[in-house]
Amino acid sequence: MNRRAVRAIARKDIMSITSNIQVWLPMLIVPLVFAVLFPIGASFAIRATDTSTSSDFQELLDVLEKLPQSSLDSLNGIFDSLITDQQRIAYMMFNYFMAPFFLMIPLMAASTISVDSFVGEKERGTLEGLLLSPVDMRSIFAAKALASLIPAIAISLTSFVLFAVCANVFAWPIFGRLFFPSIAWAPLILLVMPAIGLLAVLINVFISARVSTFQAGYQMSGFLVLPVIALMIGQFTGIMLLDAKVLLAIGAALIIVDYALLMAITKRLDKAQIFESQVR
Amino acid sequence: MMIQIKDVTKRYGEQRAVDALSFNVARGEILGLIGPNGAGKTTTIRMLCGVVKPDAGQVRVAGLDPQSQGDEVRSQIGVLTETAELYSNLSGIENLRFFAELYGIDDPRRPHELMEEFGLADHKEKKAGAYSTGMKKRLGLAKALLANPPILLLDEPTSGLDPAGIAMVLDEIERLNSQKGVTVVLCSHVLHQLETVCQRYVIIDRGRTVAQGTLPELAEKCPGPTIVEVDADYILDGEAYRGIPARPLPVGDIQFTVSSRNEVPKLIRQLSQDADVYSVKLKGHDLESVYFRLLEGEKDE
Repeated sequence: MNRRAVRAIARKDIMSITSNIQVWLPMLIVPLVFAVLFPIGASFAIRATDTSTSSDFQELLDVLEKLPQSSLDSLNGIFDSLITDQQRIAYMMFNYFMAPFFLMIPLMAASTISVDSFVGEKERGTLEGLLLSPVDMRSIFAAKALASLIPAIAISLTSFVLFAVCANVFAWPIFGRLFFPSIAWAPLILLVMPAIGLLAVLINVFISARVSTFQAGYQMSGFLVLPVIALMIGQFTGIMLLDAKVLLAIGAALIIVDYALLMAITKRLDKAQIFESQVR
Repeated sequence: MMIQIKDVTKRYGEQRAVDALSFNVARGEILGLIGPNGAGKTTTIRMLCGVVKPDAGQVRVAGLDPQSQGDEVRSQIGVLTETAELYSNLSGIENLRFFAELYGIDDPRRPHELMEEFGLADHKEKKAGAYSTGMKKRLGLAKALLANPPILLLDEPTSGLDPAGIAMVLDEIERLNSQKGVTVVLCSHVLHQLETVCQRYVIIDRGRTVAQGTLPELAEKCPGPTIVEVDADYILDGEAYRGIPARPLPVGDIQFTVSSRNEVPKLIRQLSQDADVYSVKLKGHDLESVYFRLLEGEKDE
Protein backbone atom coordinates (compact mmCIF):
# COMPACT_ATOMS: atom_id res chain seq x y z
CA MET A 1 0.00 0.00 0.00
CA ASN A 2 1.40 3.36 -1.03
CA ARG A 3 0.51 5.40 2.07
CA ARG A 4 1.87 8.62 0.69
CA ALA A 5 -0.33 8.36 -2.37
CA VAL A 6 -3.33 7.31 -0.25
CA ARG A 7 -2.92 10.45 1.88
CA ALA A 8 -2.49 12.68 -1.18
CA ILE A 9 -5.52 11.32 -3.03
CA ALA A 10 -7.74 11.29 0.08
CA ARG A 11 -6.66 14.85 0.94
CA LYS A 12 -7.38 16.03 -2.60
CA ASP A 13 -10.81 14.41 -2.65
CA ILE A 14 -11.78 15.79 0.77
CA MET A 15 -10.57 19.25 -0.26
CA SER A 16 -12.69 19.14 -3.38
CA ILE A 17 -15.74 18.49 -1.17
CA THR A 18 -14.99 21.06 1.51
CA SER A 19 -14.04 23.79 -0.95
CA ASN A 20 -17.28 23.55 -2.89
CA ILE A 21 -20.30 24.89 -1.02
CA GLN A 22 -22.61 23.42 -3.63
CA VAL A 23 -21.40 19.98 -2.57
CA TRP A 24 -21.14 20.19 1.21
CA LEU A 25 -24.14 22.37 1.99
CA PRO A 26 -26.80 19.95 0.70
CA MET A 27 -25.00 17.13 2.56
CA LEU A 28 -25.51 18.98 5.84
CA ILE A 29 -29.17 19.91 5.43
CA VAL A 30 -30.72 16.53 6.23
CA PRO A 31 -28.41 15.84 9.21
CA LEU A 32 -29.18 19.32 10.56
CA VAL A 33 -32.91 18.67 10.30
CA PHE A 34 -32.56 15.35 12.16
CA ALA A 35 -30.06 16.63 14.69
CA VAL A 36 -31.37 20.09 15.51
CA LEU A 37 -34.82 20.85 14.19
CA PHE A 38 -36.39 17.51 15.07
CA PRO A 39 -35.36 17.35 18.78
CA ILE A 40 -36.33 20.98 19.29
CA GLY A 41 -39.67 20.52 17.53
CA ALA A 42 -40.42 17.20 19.20
CA SER A 43 -39.54 18.54 22.66
CA PHE A 44 -41.84 21.52 22.28
CA ALA A 45 -44.60 19.36 20.83
CA ILE A 46 -44.46 16.88 23.72
CA ARG A 47 -44.22 19.65 26.31
CA ALA A 48 -47.18 21.48 24.80
CA THR A 49 -49.48 18.50 24.39
CA ASP A 50 -51.94 17.16 26.93
CA THR A 51 -51.15 13.49 26.48
CA SER A 52 -54.46 12.44 28.05
CA THR A 53 -56.49 14.08 25.30
CA SER A 54 -54.23 13.95 22.25
CA SER A 55 -55.19 11.05 19.96
CA ASP A 56 -51.72 10.89 18.35
CA PHE A 57 -50.05 10.56 21.72
CA GLN A 58 -52.61 7.98 22.82
CA GLU A 59 -51.67 5.93 19.75
CA LEU A 60 -48.00 6.17 20.75
CA LEU A 61 -48.81 5.09 24.29
CA ASP A 62 -50.77 2.15 22.87
CA VAL A 63 -47.67 1.11 20.88
CA LEU A 64 -45.61 1.25 24.05
CA GLU A 65 -48.10 -0.92 25.91
CA LYS A 66 -48.22 -3.46 23.13
CA LEU A 67 -44.45 -3.90 22.81
CA PRO A 68 -43.40 -7.56 22.59
CA GLN A 69 -42.13 -9.02 25.83
CA SER A 70 -38.60 -9.21 24.44
CA SER A 71 -38.69 -5.49 23.72
CA LEU A 72 -40.18 -4.72 27.13
CA ASP A 73 -37.49 -6.85 28.78
CA SER A 74 -34.83 -4.89 26.94
CA LEU A 75 -36.08 -1.67 28.44
CA ASN A 76 -34.80 -3.06 31.75
CA GLY A 77 -37.17 -1.35 34.03
CA ILE A 78 -36.41 2.06 32.63
CA PHE A 79 -40.09 2.69 32.18
CA ASP A 80 -40.62 2.09 35.85
CA SER A 81 -38.54 5.17 36.59
CA LEU A 82 -40.52 7.32 34.16
CA ILE A 83 -43.47 8.84 35.95
CA THR A 84 -45.47 10.68 33.31
CA ASP A 85 -46.70 9.70 29.86
CA GLN A 86 -44.78 12.69 28.49
CA GLN A 87 -41.56 11.25 29.88
CA ARG A 88 -42.30 7.79 28.47
CA ILE A 89 -43.11 9.18 25.03
CA ALA A 90 -40.12 11.51 25.03
CA TYR A 91 -37.78 8.74 26.19
CA MET A 92 -38.95 6.31 23.52
CA MET A 93 -38.98 9.00 20.84
CA PHE A 94 -35.42 10.16 21.38
CA ASN A 95 -33.67 7.00 22.56
CA TYR A 96 -35.31 4.47 20.26
CA PHE A 97 -37.42 5.83 17.44
CA MET A 98 -34.72 8.27 16.31
CA ALA A 99 -31.95 5.66 16.32
CA PRO A 100 -32.42 4.41 12.73
CA PHE A 101 -32.08 7.99 11.43
CA PHE A 102 -28.52 7.90 12.71
CA LEU A 103 -27.92 4.99 10.38
CA MET A 104 -29.40 6.95 7.51
CA ILE A 105 -27.07 9.89 8.03
CA PRO A 106 -23.78 8.03 7.39
CA LEU A 107 -25.44 6.15 4.52
CA MET A 108 -26.56 9.33 2.80
CA ALA A 109 -23.36 11.27 3.43
CA ALA A 110 -21.15 8.36 2.39
CA SER A 111 -23.18 7.65 -0.74
CA THR A 112 -23.02 11.18 -2.10
CA ILE A 113 -19.25 11.31 -1.88
CA SER A 114 -18.36 7.70 -2.63
CA VAL A 115 -20.46 7.39 -5.79
CA ASP A 116 -18.54 10.40 -7.13
CA SER A 117 -15.17 8.82 -6.30
CA PHE A 118 -14.32 7.21 -9.66
CA VAL A 119 -17.13 8.19 -11.99
CA GLY A 120 -16.82 11.84 -10.93
CA GLU A 121 -13.14 11.83 -11.95
CA LYS A 122 -14.14 10.23 -15.22
CA GLU A 123 -16.77 12.90 -15.89
CA ARG A 124 -14.27 15.66 -15.04
CA GLY A 125 -11.62 14.12 -17.31
CA THR A 126 -9.06 13.42 -14.58
CA LEU A 127 -9.38 9.64 -14.18
CA GLU A 128 -6.92 8.84 -16.96
CA GLY A 129 -4.18 10.88 -15.30
CA LEU A 130 -4.78 9.13 -11.98
CA LEU A 131 -4.74 5.65 -13.54
CA LEU A 132 -1.60 6.47 -15.55
CA SER A 133 0.27 7.25 -12.33
CA PRO A 134 2.43 4.56 -10.69
CA VAL A 135 -0.03 4.16 -7.80
CA ASP A 136 -1.51 0.68 -7.40
CA MET A 137 -5.27 0.18 -7.51
CA ARG A 138 -5.51 -0.91 -3.88
CA SER A 139 -4.03 2.41 -2.76
CA ILE A 140 -6.32 4.39 -5.07
CA PHE A 141 -9.34 2.45 -3.80
CA ALA A 142 -8.30 2.88 -0.15
CA ALA A 143 -7.83 6.62 -0.68
CA LYS A 144 -11.22 7.01 -2.32
CA ALA A 145 -12.86 4.99 0.46
CA LEU A 146 -11.18 7.07 3.18
CA ALA A 147 -12.13 10.32 1.48
CA SER A 148 -15.75 9.19 1.56
CA LEU A 149 -15.72 7.65 5.05
CA ILE A 150 -14.02 10.45 6.99
CA PRO A 151 -16.55 13.19 6.10
CA ALA A 152 -19.45 10.73 6.54
CA ILE A 153 -18.29 9.77 10.04
CA ALA A 154 -17.56 13.41 10.90
CA ILE A 155 -21.05 14.50 9.82
CA SER A 156 -22.63 11.57 11.68
CA LEU A 157 -20.76 12.18 14.93
CA THR A 158 -21.39 15.92 14.82
CA SER A 159 -25.09 15.26 14.18
CA PHE A 160 -25.19 12.91 17.16
CA VAL A 161 -23.58 15.47 19.48
CA LEU A 162 -25.92 18.22 18.26
CA PHE A 163 -28.89 15.91 18.70
CA ALA A 164 -27.82 14.97 22.24
CA VAL A 165 -27.38 18.62 23.22
CA CYS A 166 -30.67 19.75 21.68
CA ALA A 167 -32.62 16.80 23.13
CA ASN A 168 -31.34 17.26 26.66
CA VAL A 169 -31.64 21.07 26.62
CA PHE A 170 -35.09 21.34 25.11
CA ALA A 171 -36.58 18.29 26.85
CA TRP A 172 -35.11 19.33 30.21
CA PRO A 173 -38.47 20.62 31.47
CA ILE A 174 -39.93 17.13 30.84
CA PHE A 175 -37.26 15.18 32.72
CA GLY A 176 -35.40 17.63 34.91
CA ARG A 177 -32.25 15.66 34.24
CA LEU A 178 -30.11 14.32 31.40
CA PHE A 179 -31.98 11.48 29.74
CA PHE A 180 -30.18 10.98 26.44
CA PRO A 181 -28.34 9.00 25.23
CA SER A 182 -29.22 5.61 26.67
CA ILE A 183 -26.60 2.87 26.88
CA ALA A 184 -27.81 1.43 23.56
CA TRP A 185 -26.36 4.42 21.77
CA ALA A 186 -22.80 3.39 22.58
CA PRO A 187 -22.70 0.40 20.17
CA LEU A 188 -24.81 2.37 17.68
CA ILE A 189 -22.42 5.32 17.48
CA LEU A 190 -19.13 3.52 18.02
CA LEU A 191 -19.75 0.33 16.08
CA VAL A 192 -22.84 0.25 13.88
CA MET A 193 -22.61 3.76 12.46
CA PRO A 194 -18.97 3.47 11.26
CA ALA A 195 -19.60 -0.07 10.01
CA ILE A 196 -22.64 0.92 7.97
CA GLY A 197 -20.78 3.95 6.66
CA LEU A 198 -17.94 1.69 5.58
CA LEU A 199 -20.39 -0.71 3.94
CA ALA A 200 -21.92 2.13 1.94
CA VAL A 201 -18.48 3.41 0.98
CA LEU A 202 -17.16 0.02 -0.15
CA ILE A 203 -20.21 -0.77 -2.24
CA ASN A 204 -20.48 2.71 -3.76
CA VAL A 205 -16.80 3.12 -4.59
CA PHE A 206 -16.93 -0.29 -6.29
CA ILE A 207 -20.05 0.73 -8.23
CA SER A 208 -18.45 4.08 -9.09
CA ALA A 209 -15.53 2.30 -10.76
CA ARG A 210 -17.94 0.48 -13.04
CA VAL A 211 -20.73 2.83 -14.03
CA SER A 212 -20.51 5.38 -16.79
CA THR A 213 -22.23 8.33 -15.12
CA PHE A 214 -22.73 9.72 -11.63
CA GLN A 215 -26.50 9.43 -12.09
CA ALA A 216 -26.25 5.71 -12.85
CA GLY A 217 -24.07 5.16 -9.79
CA TYR A 218 -26.36 7.10 -7.51
CA GLN A 219 -29.41 5.17 -8.74
CA MET A 220 -27.69 1.85 -8.12
CA SER A 221 -26.65 2.82 -4.60
CA GLY A 222 -30.24 3.57 -3.59
CA PHE A 223 -30.90 -0.01 -2.50
CA LEU A 224 -28.64 0.45 0.54
CA VAL A 225 -31.34 2.31 2.46
CA LEU A 226 -33.74 -0.66 2.37
CA PRO A 227 -32.32 -2.50 5.41
CA VAL A 228 -32.36 0.77 7.40
CA ILE A 229 -35.99 1.34 6.45
CA ALA A 230 -36.74 -2.18 7.68
CA LEU A 231 -35.08 -1.35 10.99
CA MET A 232 -37.10 1.86 11.21
CA ILE A 233 -40.33 -0.07 10.73
CA GLY A 234 -39.22 -2.49 13.43
CA GLN A 235 -38.52 0.40 15.77
CA PHE A 236 -41.75 2.27 15.18
CA THR A 237 -43.91 -0.82 15.48
CA GLY A 238 -41.94 -2.17 18.43
CA ILE A 239 -41.34 -5.49 16.66
CA MET A 240 -37.65 -5.21 17.26
CA LEU A 241 -36.21 -2.52 19.46
CA LEU A 242 -32.64 -1.59 18.78
CA ASP A 243 -31.32 -2.17 22.27
CA ALA A 244 -27.63 -2.59 23.15
CA LYS A 245 -27.60 -6.36 22.53
CA VAL A 246 -29.31 -6.10 19.15
CA LEU A 247 -27.02 -3.27 18.09
CA LEU A 248 -23.91 -5.16 19.16
CA ALA A 249 -25.07 -8.11 17.06
CA ILE A 250 -25.84 -5.89 14.07
CA GLY A 251 -22.47 -4.16 14.45
CA ALA A 252 -20.59 -7.45 14.57
CA ALA A 253 -22.46 -8.73 11.51
CA LEU A 254 -21.67 -5.53 9.62
CA ILE A 255 -17.98 -5.76 10.47
CA ILE A 256 -17.90 -9.32 9.10
CA VAL A 257 -19.71 -8.22 5.94
CA ASP A 258 -17.38 -5.23 5.55
CA TYR A 259 -14.32 -7.44 5.86
CA ALA A 260 -15.64 -10.01 3.37
CA LEU A 261 -16.58 -7.24 0.93
CA LEU A 262 -13.17 -5.62 1.26
CA MET A 263 -11.43 -8.92 0.51
CA ALA A 264 -13.70 -9.58 -2.47
CA ILE A 265 -13.29 -6.07 -3.88
CA THR A 266 -9.50 -5.94 -3.55
CA LYS A 267 -9.26 -9.14 -5.61
CA ARG A 268 -11.22 -7.50 -8.41
CA LEU A 269 -9.27 -4.25 -8.65
CA ASP A 270 -7.72 -4.36 -12.09
CA LYS A 271 -6.35 -1.09 -13.41
CA ALA A 272 -6.55 -2.08 -17.08
CA GLN A 273 -10.13 -3.31 -16.68
CA ILE A 274 -11.22 -0.10 -14.98
CA PHE A 275 -9.33 2.03 -17.52
CA GLU A 276 -10.87 0.28 -20.51
CA SER A 277 -14.39 0.44 -19.11
CA GLN A 278 -14.18 4.02 -17.85
CA VAL A 279 -11.73 5.99 -19.92
CA ARG A 280 -11.95 4.69 -23.46
CA MET B 1 15.89 -1.56 -26.78
CA MET B 2 13.94 0.72 -24.45
CA ILE B 3 10.56 -0.10 -25.99
CA GLN B 4 9.60 -3.27 -27.81
CA ILE B 5 6.25 -3.93 -29.40
CA LYS B 6 5.96 -7.27 -31.15
CA ASP B 7 2.90 -8.49 -33.08
CA VAL B 8 0.57 -6.66 -30.75
CA THR B 9 -3.14 -6.78 -31.43
CA LYS B 10 -5.95 -5.05 -29.57
CA ARG B 11 -9.61 -5.51 -30.42
CA TYR B 12 -12.61 -3.52 -29.27
CA GLY B 13 -15.50 -5.73 -30.23
CA GLU B 14 -15.20 -6.47 -33.92
CA GLN B 15 -12.84 -3.58 -34.56
CA ARG B 16 -9.06 -4.03 -34.41
CA ALA B 17 -7.61 -0.86 -32.95
CA VAL B 18 -4.12 -2.33 -33.25
CA ASP B 19 -3.37 -5.20 -35.63
CA ALA B 20 -0.13 -7.19 -35.38
CA LEU B 21 1.81 -3.99 -34.73
CA SER B 22 5.56 -4.25 -34.31
CA PHE B 23 8.24 -1.65 -33.73
CA ASN B 24 11.11 -0.90 -31.37
CA VAL B 25 12.49 2.27 -29.86
CA ALA B 26 16.14 2.39 -28.93
CA ARG B 27 17.33 3.96 -25.71
CA GLY B 28 17.83 7.70 -26.20
CA GLU B 29 15.87 7.83 -29.47
CA ILE B 30 13.14 10.31 -30.41
CA LEU B 31 10.55 8.41 -32.39
CA GLY B 32 7.65 9.97 -34.24
CA LEU B 33 4.54 7.77 -34.14
CA ILE B 34 2.31 9.09 -36.91
CA GLY B 35 -0.89 8.09 -38.59
CA PRO B 36 -4.39 9.32 -39.36
CA ASN B 37 -7.10 9.61 -36.71
CA GLY B 38 -8.11 6.18 -35.44
CA ALA B 39 -4.84 4.60 -36.59
CA GLY B 40 -4.14 3.19 -33.12
CA LYS B 41 -1.57 5.68 -31.80
CA THR B 42 -3.35 6.43 -28.52
CA THR B 43 -4.15 2.75 -27.96
CA THR B 44 -0.47 1.97 -28.49
CA ILE B 45 0.57 4.63 -25.97
CA ARG B 46 -1.90 3.21 -23.47
CA MET B 47 -0.62 -0.33 -23.96
CA LEU B 48 2.91 0.91 -23.29
CA CYS B 49 1.62 2.37 -20.03
CA GLY B 50 -0.06 -0.90 -19.11
CA VAL B 51 -3.56 0.55 -18.77
CA VAL B 52 -4.85 -1.25 -21.84
CA LYS B 53 -4.31 -4.99 -22.15
CA PRO B 54 -3.26 -6.29 -25.58
CA ASP B 55 -5.17 -9.30 -26.88
CA ALA B 56 -2.05 -10.75 -28.47
CA GLY B 57 1.63 -10.01 -28.78
CA GLN B 58 4.27 -8.73 -26.47
CA VAL B 59 5.02 -5.30 -25.07
CA ARG B 60 8.17 -4.48 -23.15
CA VAL B 61 9.16 -1.13 -21.67
CA ALA B 62 12.65 -0.90 -20.18
CA GLY B 63 12.60 -4.68 -20.12
CA LEU B 64 9.42 -4.79 -18.02
CA ASP B 65 5.98 -6.11 -18.85
CA PRO B 66 3.49 -3.23 -18.53
CA GLN B 67 0.72 -5.68 -17.62
CA SER B 68 2.33 -7.58 -14.77
CA GLN B 69 4.71 -4.80 -13.73
CA GLY B 70 2.48 -1.85 -14.53
CA ASP B 71 3.23 0.40 -11.59
CA GLU B 72 6.97 -0.06 -12.06
CA VAL B 73 6.66 0.77 -15.75
CA ARG B 74 4.49 3.80 -15.06
CA SER B 75 7.03 5.12 -12.55
CA GLN B 76 9.51 5.39 -15.42
CA ILE B 77 7.20 7.02 -17.93
CA GLY B 78 6.15 10.62 -18.22
CA VAL B 79 2.92 10.78 -20.20
CA LEU B 80 1.25 13.74 -21.82
CA THR B 81 -2.18 12.80 -23.08
CA GLU B 82 -4.14 14.72 -25.65
CA THR B 83 -6.24 16.33 -22.93
CA ALA B 84 -3.97 17.53 -20.17
CA GLU B 85 -5.78 15.64 -17.34
CA LEU B 86 -5.57 18.39 -14.74
CA TYR B 87 -7.73 19.06 -11.71
CA SER B 88 -9.51 22.28 -12.56
CA ASN B 89 -10.40 23.03 -8.93
CA LEU B 90 -6.71 22.93 -7.91
CA SER B 91 -4.22 25.65 -8.75
CA GLY B 92 -1.35 24.97 -11.15
CA ILE B 93 1.14 24.43 -8.34
CA GLU B 94 -1.33 22.29 -6.36
CA ASN B 95 -1.75 20.05 -9.40
CA LEU B 96 2.00 19.54 -9.65
CA ARG B 97 2.36 19.00 -5.89
CA PHE B 98 -0.39 16.39 -5.99
CA PHE B 99 1.20 14.44 -8.81
CA ALA B 100 4.60 14.83 -7.15
CA GLU B 101 3.16 12.91 -4.19
CA LEU B 102 1.87 10.17 -6.49
CA TYR B 103 5.29 9.87 -8.16
CA GLY B 104 7.11 9.90 -4.82
CA ILE B 105 9.07 13.09 -5.46
CA ASP B 106 10.71 14.35 -2.29
CA ASP B 107 12.16 17.63 -3.56
CA PRO B 108 9.59 20.34 -2.78
CA ARG B 109 11.30 22.71 -5.23
CA ARG B 110 10.66 20.48 -8.24
CA PRO B 111 7.09 21.69 -8.95
CA HIS B 112 8.22 25.32 -8.68
CA GLU B 113 11.20 24.73 -10.99
CA LEU B 114 8.91 23.26 -13.62
CA MET B 115 6.42 26.11 -13.31
CA GLU B 116 9.32 28.53 -13.96
CA GLU B 117 10.66 26.48 -16.82
CA PHE B 118 7.33 26.41 -18.61
CA GLY B 119 6.55 30.07 -18.08
CA LEU B 120 3.76 29.45 -15.57
CA ALA B 121 5.33 30.93 -12.44
CA ASP B 122 3.10 34.02 -12.54
CA HIS B 123 0.01 31.84 -12.76
CA LYS B 124 0.87 29.11 -10.28
CA GLU B 125 -1.78 30.09 -7.72
CA LYS B 126 -4.51 30.38 -10.34
CA LYS B 127 -6.97 27.50 -10.65
CA ALA B 128 -6.03 25.20 -13.52
CA GLY B 129 -9.59 25.45 -14.78
CA ALA B 130 -8.93 29.12 -15.56
CA TYR B 131 -5.81 28.37 -17.61
CA SER B 132 -5.84 28.86 -21.36
CA THR B 133 -5.48 25.80 -23.62
CA GLY B 134 -1.81 26.51 -24.14
CA MET B 135 -1.18 26.95 -20.41
CA LYS B 136 -2.93 23.68 -19.65
CA LYS B 137 -0.78 21.94 -22.22
CA ARG B 138 2.38 23.39 -20.69
CA LEU B 139 1.26 22.38 -17.20
CA GLY B 140 0.51 18.88 -18.51
CA LEU B 141 4.03 18.70 -19.92
CA ALA B 142 5.45 19.91 -16.62
CA LYS B 143 3.49 17.15 -14.91
CA ALA B 144 4.95 14.58 -17.32
CA LEU B 145 8.46 15.73 -16.41
CA LEU B 146 8.01 15.79 -12.63
CA ALA B 147 9.81 12.55 -11.93
CA ASN B 148 12.60 13.12 -14.50
CA PRO B 149 11.42 9.99 -16.33
CA PRO B 150 13.76 8.16 -18.71
CA ILE B 151 10.85 7.69 -21.13
CA LEU B 152 8.42 10.29 -22.40
CA LEU B 153 5.23 9.46 -24.27
CA LEU B 154 3.83 12.66 -25.69
CA ASP B 155 0.49 12.77 -27.49
CA GLU B 156 0.07 16.04 -29.43
CA PRO B 157 2.42 18.01 -27.15
CA THR B 158 2.21 21.20 -29.20
CA SER B 159 -1.53 21.38 -29.84
CA GLY B 160 -3.04 24.62 -28.56
CA LEU B 161 0.33 26.34 -28.19
CA ASP B 162 1.37 29.61 -29.79
CA PRO B 163 4.57 29.68 -31.89
CA ALA B 164 6.71 30.60 -28.89
CA GLY B 165 5.19 27.77 -26.89
CA ILE B 166 5.74 25.31 -29.72
CA ALA B 167 9.38 26.31 -30.01
CA MET B 168 9.81 25.99 -26.24
CA VAL B 169 8.31 22.48 -26.15
CA LEU B 170 10.34 21.23 -29.10
CA ASP B 171 13.52 22.74 -27.64
CA GLU B 172 12.78 21.10 -24.30
CA ILE B 173 12.30 17.70 -25.96
CA GLU B 174 15.61 18.09 -27.78
CA ARG B 175 17.38 19.22 -24.62
CA LEU B 176 16.05 16.32 -22.56
CA ASN B 177 17.10 13.91 -25.25
CA SER B 178 20.55 15.32 -25.90
CA GLN B 179 21.50 16.13 -22.29
CA LYS B 180 19.75 13.40 -20.35
CA GLY B 181 19.30 10.70 -22.97
CA VAL B 182 15.53 10.60 -22.48
CA THR B 183 13.74 8.24 -24.88
CA VAL B 184 10.78 9.98 -26.48
CA VAL B 185 7.80 8.72 -28.45
CA LEU B 186 6.00 11.63 -30.04
CA CYS B 187 2.54 11.53 -31.61
CA SER B 188 1.53 14.54 -33.61
CA HIS B 189 -0.45 15.53 -36.67
CA VAL B 190 1.82 18.52 -37.25
CA LEU B 191 4.39 16.65 -39.31
CA HIS B 192 6.72 19.54 -40.09
CA GLN B 193 7.23 20.00 -36.33
CA LEU B 194 8.14 16.35 -35.93
CA GLU B 195 10.77 16.71 -38.62
CA THR B 196 12.71 19.13 -36.46
CA VAL B 197 13.10 16.72 -33.52
CA CYS B 198 12.43 13.10 -34.47
CA GLN B 199 15.19 10.80 -35.53
CA ARG B 200 13.00 7.98 -36.76
CA TYR B 201 9.36 7.44 -37.57
CA VAL B 202 6.75 4.71 -37.44
CA ILE B 203 3.76 5.29 -39.67
CA ILE B 204 0.66 3.33 -38.70
CA ASP B 205 -2.76 3.10 -40.30
CA ARG B 206 -5.74 1.02 -39.21
CA GLY B 207 -3.62 -0.42 -36.39
CA ARG B 208 -0.87 -1.72 -38.67
CA THR B 209 2.67 -0.60 -39.38
CA VAL B 210 2.80 1.02 -42.82
CA ALA B 211 6.48 1.86 -42.74
CA GLN B 212 9.23 2.73 -40.32
CA GLY B 213 12.65 4.26 -40.53
CA THR B 214 14.47 7.56 -40.82
CA LEU B 215 13.09 10.13 -43.24
CA PRO B 216 15.53 9.24 -46.06
CA GLU B 217 14.71 5.55 -45.53
CA LEU B 218 10.99 6.27 -45.70
CA ALA B 219 11.47 8.40 -48.82
CA GLU B 220 13.29 5.54 -50.55
CA LYS B 221 10.31 3.29 -49.92
CA CYS B 222 8.06 5.56 -51.97
CA PRO B 223 10.13 7.14 -54.73
CA GLY B 224 8.46 9.93 -56.54
CA PRO B 225 9.27 13.10 -58.38
CA THR B 226 11.16 15.77 -56.51
CA ILE B 227 9.70 19.27 -56.63
CA VAL B 228 12.24 22.08 -56.45
CA GLU B 229 11.03 25.62 -55.72
CA VAL B 230 13.62 28.23 -56.56
CA ASP B 231 13.67 31.95 -55.88
CA ALA B 232 15.75 33.23 -58.79
CA ASP B 233 16.00 36.18 -61.18
CA TYR B 234 14.97 34.13 -64.18
CA ILE B 235 12.04 34.56 -66.49
CA LEU B 236 10.71 31.26 -67.63
CA ASP B 237 10.01 30.93 -71.32
CA GLY B 238 7.49 28.19 -71.86
CA GLU B 239 6.82 25.21 -69.61
CA ALA B 240 10.32 23.81 -69.35
CA TYR B 241 13.89 24.79 -68.54
CA ARG B 242 16.56 22.84 -70.44
CA GLY B 243 14.05 19.98 -70.81
CA ILE B 244 13.05 19.98 -67.16
CA PRO B 245 9.30 20.66 -66.58
CA ALA B 246 8.88 24.05 -64.90
CA ARG B 247 6.20 26.59 -64.13
CA PRO B 248 6.13 30.00 -62.43
CA LEU B 249 4.51 30.24 -59.00
CA PRO B 250 2.25 33.11 -57.89
CA VAL B 251 4.85 34.31 -55.34
CA GLY B 252 7.47 34.75 -58.05
CA ASP B 253 9.36 31.50 -57.50
CA ILE B 254 9.81 28.87 -60.17
CA GLN B 255 8.77 25.26 -59.60
CA PHE B 256 10.82 22.52 -61.29
CA THR B 257 9.94 18.82 -61.36
CA VAL B 258 12.90 16.44 -61.51
CA SER B 259 12.67 12.66 -61.48
CA SER B 260 14.93 12.23 -58.44
CA ARG B 261 16.74 14.32 -55.88
CA ASN B 262 20.09 13.36 -57.51
CA GLU B 263 19.30 15.72 -60.38
CA VAL B 264 18.88 18.74 -58.13
CA PRO B 265 22.58 19.79 -57.87
CA LYS B 266 22.96 19.84 -61.66
CA LEU B 267 19.78 21.88 -62.06
CA ILE B 268 20.94 24.49 -59.53
CA ARG B 269 24.41 24.73 -61.06
CA GLN B 270 22.91 25.37 -64.51
CA LEU B 271 20.37 27.87 -63.22
CA SER B 272 23.07 29.71 -61.26
CA GLN B 273 24.90 30.29 -64.52
CA ASP B 274 21.79 31.80 -66.10
CA ALA B 275 20.52 33.87 -63.18
CA ASP B 276 21.01 34.84 -59.54
CA VAL B 277 19.58 32.15 -57.27
CA TYR B 278 18.42 33.30 -53.79
CA SER B 279 16.86 30.18 -52.28
CA VAL B 280 16.12 26.54 -53.06
CA LYS B 281 13.40 24.45 -51.40
CA LEU B 282 12.99 20.72 -51.94
CA LYS B 283 9.51 19.30 -51.75
CA GLY B 284 8.39 15.71 -51.97
CA HIS B 285 11.11 14.59 -49.52
CA ASP B 286 9.65 16.25 -46.49
CA LEU B 287 7.86 14.13 -43.94
CA GLU B 288 4.40 15.25 -44.99
CA SER B 289 4.91 14.34 -48.66
CA VAL B 290 6.48 10.99 -47.81
CA TYR B 291 3.72 10.25 -45.29
CA PHE B 292 0.93 10.86 -47.82
CA ARG B 293 2.70 8.85 -50.53
CA LEU B 294 3.19 5.93 -48.17
CA LEU B 295 -0.42 5.99 -47.00
CA GLU B 296 -1.64 6.19 -50.58
CA GLY B 297 0.52 3.25 -51.49
CA GLU B 298 -0.89 1.32 -48.53
CA LYS B 299 -4.46 2.06 -49.64
CA ASP B 300 -3.70 0.94 -53.20
CA GLU B 301 -2.45 -2.38 -51.87
